[in-house]
Amino acid sequence: MEIHNTPKLTLFHCINSFEETPSMFDNCQVKTVKMACASMTKDIHLLRAFEAGSDAVLVLVCPDKGCRYAQGSIRAKKRVDYVKTILDDIGMDGRRLSIFNTTAKDSRAITDIIQKTLVALETIGPNPALNHLN
Amino acid sequence: MITGSQKPINEIIKLVEPYKKVLILGCGTCVKTCFAGGEDEVAVLASALRLSFKQMAKSIDIEELTIERQCENEFIQEASPGIARNEAILSLACGAGVQAMAKRFAKEVVLPGVNTTFIGIQESPGIFTEECSGCGNCSLAIFGGVCPVTRCAKKLLNGPCGGSQNGVCEIDPDTPCAWHLIIERLTTLGQLDNLKTYIPPKNWNTSLSGGPRKLIREDHII
Repeated sequence: MEIHNTPKLTLFHCINSFEETPSMFDNCQVKTVKMACASMTKDIHLLRAFEAGSDAVLVLVCPDKGCRYAQGSIRAKKRVDYVKTILDDIGMDGRRLSIFNTTAKDSRAITDIIQKTLVALETIGPNPALNHLN
Repeated sequence: MITGSQKPINEIIKLVEPYKKVLILGCGTCVKTCFAGGEDEVAVLASALRLSFKQMAKSIDIEELTIERQCENEFIQEASPGIARNEAILSLACGAGVQAMAKRFAKEVVLPGVNTTFIGIQESPGIFTEECSGCGNCSLAIFGGVCPVTRCAKKLLNGPCGGSQNGVCEIDPDTPCAWHLIIERLTTLGQLDNLKTYIPPKNWNTSLSGGPRKLIREDHII
């Protein structure tokens, strides 16, 4: 069931993992949420992004050994995995939520991640709660 | 502290499904520490329930509140207005908290959102271990502060069994042998002679096996 034509993404990122470049967000609406470190990724923020209507949520974190605060990327991964299980349990499909190790300079890889997410959404479908969101 | 883990989300969905207005009530003491029922867990559960019910096109109003402790009347009062606004309370407290709420709000539906597990400690971040069975007759002084009633799978009181190998219990390689720990600790304390003390068969009347218990402090009763 197609609810809106332009997929909505929310992108949480460590300040060292992402830098927006022109045309990076072609064919989608993206809300970016900047974090001082990936360790600030919280379960509730990821879920609220879906409540706010996101079809997919991406978390971009530094390479595991490149985190300035040592364990931020690892902590973020664990929280993302936990929320993925919640999404699966409630029938939202955990594949809507993904985490990637990136660096701010690697805009090509980030663009690729976004485009692959849009392709994946064609299979996964739009946010199933969206039709009923207030 | 009392430890617990949140019930599976699908079990919780079934519990709250009949109601249109639900208060998710967290408890800010024990279950908060073990990540089962504090403010963060209340928020995550509320969000997950909202998403779940929206997919089913079911209307449900979820209110969130966390009080300091659900097992004490002084703190429970704080939840009264929220309880009055809702049809059911989903308590994320331990079993004692849930029952305290049910006792205090006799005409309200109180649902448990947490499976209470044991009295324990946080061994390391994210790992909780059972340390006390609440047997009602503490002998930790003899055992160097390590409880064989709780931590020995066979509850042996007069030394280890033959199944202890390299300090590990035969029932589970992840479980340290309580008696190995006791002997190590008594050695450190220079109290190995404690092992010569014969411990008679335990009187379980003081434990839950003797029926529900009551603690009375006359000096606090007016």
